[in-house]
Amino acid sequence: MSRLSRWLAPTTRVHAHCDLPCGIYDPEQARIEAESTLRIIEKMAANNDAAFQTRAIHIKEERADLVKHHLDVLWHDYFKPEHLEKVPNLHELFWNANKQVSKVKASTDAADAKRLLEMIDEIDAAWKATGGPEKTRVAGRPG
Amino acid sequence: MTPRSVAPALRAMLARLRRATRGGLWRVSVADRSMAPAILPGDWLLVDPTVTRWPRRGAAVVFREPGSEVLAIKRVVARPGDWLRFAGGWLRMGPDEAWLLGDATDDDLRAAGSGGSIDSRRYGPVSEERLVARAWLRYAPLRRIGRLPAPPVDLHLRSAASPSPFAPPEITPGEGAAPPRP
Repeated sequence: MSRLSRWLAPTTRVHAHCDLPCGIYDPEQARIEAESTLRIIEKMAANNDAAFQTRAIHIKEERADLVKHHLDVLWHDYFKPEHLEKVPNLHELFWNANKQVSKVKASTDAADAKRLLEMIDEIDAAWKATGGPEKTRVAGRPG
Repeated sequence: MTPRSVAPALRAMLARLRRATRGGLWRVSVADRSMAPAILPGDWLLVDPTVTRWPRRGAAVVFREPGSEVLAIKRVVARPGDWLRFAGGWLRMGPDEAWLLGDATDDDLRAAGSGGSIDSRRYGPVSEERLVARAWLRYAPLRRIGRLPAPPVDLHLRSAASPSPFAPPEITPGEGAAPPRP
């Protein structure tokens, strides 16, 4: 039997993918990466060394991609259709914030990164309004 | 039954077996449960990798998932040229695009401890160059051997009323027909 089943066993695996969410969400994660982009832009203005500029641009792209990733996870996985009643402009918030991340990638203006922080704070308010802190963080974290 | 009547069936079976052993049919195992209840994790399937076009609506297909590039299995819900209701408007599939969704409802998946199905609601229409194979039949477990069951009838209409742009869409079969005006 085991020889037969070995002979018959599939050689390839296909995924009927679904999320396996850990259930932990917090816009803070996106905000920390966005703060990095702001600080990098400020440092770029203070240092004209070509190698430094190149590294800074590379790191800013990387951090900005992480902002997008964390925003997308919140949008797709944390927020549910029923949250739209509390936050009717939810999709607009995420659409605009993700667009702003793209702007920050292309920009060396600190104002663009600051605007991104404000947008993430609006998403943070939506997370709080829908009970995020109680439901999606582990209790007992020191304030 | 005469030997004469048995011969063609036997020949066809042998031809199929030859194709299978030559790689004309692939054996795949299924992981994850977004295709439940029709296809379950651990199922062994025979899939036909000779397909070059998106098969009919309702067929289960194996494709390279956009982004991750892993082999995924989902169901064809809209084919090239079809219109589907999406995000309060209409979305038309391009000449080589299909809309692929998992069968399981989000509630069922949540009850099983998973999140929602990862499908076209996440990554959008899928182009034909990503198509790898069409799922054909299940050969294990023995109890459920045979052709794959059809999708649930109300499959993609079940939450069309939801205000979320990620709600499963309504489909209008294509061939260039314009969608009804809302």
